[in-house]
Amino acid sequence: MNTASTPIVEVRGLWHTYLAGTPLETPSLRGVDLCALRGETVGIIGPTGSGKSTLLQHLNGLWRPQRGEVHVCGLSVNDPAIDLRVIRQQVGLVFQNPEDQLFERYAGDDVAFGPRNLKLGREEVRERVREAMEQCGLPFSFKDRLTLELSQGERRRLALAGVLAQRPQVLALDEPTAGLDPQGRLELLRILRQWGKDGDRAIILASHNMEDLAELATRVYVLVAGQVVLEGPPEQVFERTDVLVPAGLSVPPAVEVIQELRRRGFTVPHAVLTPAQAIRQIEAILHA
Amino acid sequence: MPEPSEFELSGRVTIGQYLPTGSVLHRLDPRVKLCMGLLLIVGTIGTRSLLGLAILMAAVLFGLRLARVSLRFALSGLSPALPFLFLLALLQVFAIPQHVAGSAVVWRWRFLVATTGGLFAAALLVGRFCVLVLGISLLSFSTNTTELTHGVEHLLIPLQRFGLPAHEFALVVNIAIRFLPILAREAERLMKAQASRGADLGRSGGGPVTRARRLLPLMIPLFLVSLQRADGLVEAMEARCYVGGKGRTHLIQLRARPVDMATLAACLGLSLLAIGLGTLGADAWLLHRLASHT
Repeated sequence: MNTASTPIVEVRGLWHTYLAGTPLETPSLRGVDLCALRGETVGIIGPTGSGKSTLLQHLNGLWRPQRGEVHVCGLSVNDPAIDLRVIRQQVGLVFQNPEDQLFERYAGDDVAFGPRNLKLGREEVRERVREAMEQCGLPFSFKDRLTLELSQGERRRLALAGVLAQRPQVLALDEPTAGLDPQGRLELLRILRQWGKDGDRAIILASHNMEDLAELATRVYVLVAGQVVLEGPPEQVFERTDVLVPAGLSVPPAVEVIQELRRRGFTVPHAVLTPAQAIRQIEAILHA
Repeated sequence: MPEPSEFELSGRVTIGQYLPTGSVLHRLDPRVKLCMGLLLIVGTIGTRSLLGLAILMAAVLFGLRLARVSLRFALSGLSPALPFLFLLALLQVFAIPQHVAGSAVVWRWRFLVATTGGLFAAALLVGRFCVLVLGISLLSFSTNTTELTHGVEHLLIPLQRFGLPAHEFALVVNIAIRFLPILAREAERLMKAQASRGADLGRSGGGPVTRARRLLPLMIPLFLVSLQRADGLVEAMEARCYVGGKGRTHLIQLRARPVDMATLAACLGLSLLAIGLGTLGADAWLLHRLASHT
């Protein structure tokens, strides 16, 4: 991780209440602090209804802060004079089940929706569509396929390409692997890892799937009832089953195995996240 | 109060929302509440008297109070319609000539003439609209959709003799109402997703074709999702061996209590009073009395 990097996303004391001022008002975020540096992949874990999606939607100005501050790419979402379209281009937001949002007849046109809204020239749009589709593992020739004929995994990657075609600096994703088959999930994780390699960019990933976060995240926030209760590298956060389990969250299976080994009296020196790491630890125990 | 976001669709429409405050009004028989709603509509449209309208308005406000709904919340559903209402009132005053006996000219500027009759008609129009919106909101605040459809079904049972499928009709109504908030949420999500890709959905202007084209990114996915949901619903109902209509019994049996009948009678009385005041010309008499005093 690049230690000299600067925060690209900064959220300070963010509060949000849905339907404020009506009898149906529900608090969603209660004083959230979050930051992401360039080059980081930040995970947000939380049970359903903890405010993950609301938090993400603040990052690209879909909501203005009711209380608190949101800064992205040096721009303030609080600033009433700011052009939200610029922020929405800089922070690409991928919704849950993004394949539902496709509307064009041809795949290529759907990816081109964002760049065309940016009023780019014909050639530039074409170039961006090609680049985004290839980043998402879709051959450029797919642009002439009918959107509805693609498989679910392909449709999801197409929707992701539609966001990447805007060339954002920050990519915010809401449950990106939910409902995908194992192969589709691995492919999506590979695409995200590849995209995040560029040290100038940042990924913010909201999920309740611990394995996705164990694979990708360099730092994790745990959000419970609109408040950050834990923050740190995933291997440290996942050790805290005392906080995670009561909140309705689980830990990755590999972590669970190691914790069970410790409970049974084995000494496992290092924290693990993935099955491969767990195997190495178990091998060490066997050879000792 | 923070200003509502451009995307918070469900926050702006108060009519059709259920507020579970558990008040006396919530516990009334839904059939009675439906009949009261109908009586209110008949009374409001039937009366030609401002005095009668005022009585109905008072009854609705009293109902809101009983239901423990804040007046501000109830009125917030009315506010989007206010500009149109104002325009309608202006048209009523100036564009539609009022030849009511005893109507006097109040104000005149070139071709614009306001008569007492015109002002009276405009006040009636605005009053009617407000009473109707608040009254129907009150019904929806205090009755959840299950109760409502039960009520509709039971009220329609007598018509089964003439071949009306009461149960199926109620089911269709129930599903339609049940899906409204879901579709609103879906639309909200799609608007946000497309706005994130630079769509400018809120902008007005342009010809009708341009404006319709701007909505395509919203309409097409919304239709697709709705059809998918409908498909899923059908399968779920078939899987649970749903058969409609004949011989189907209900978990909840509606029973009207004396308090239900009393409320209904009171409502009937008020509506008849409002209509009666109109036909008797109570307002003319009142205006006359007022005029003779000054």
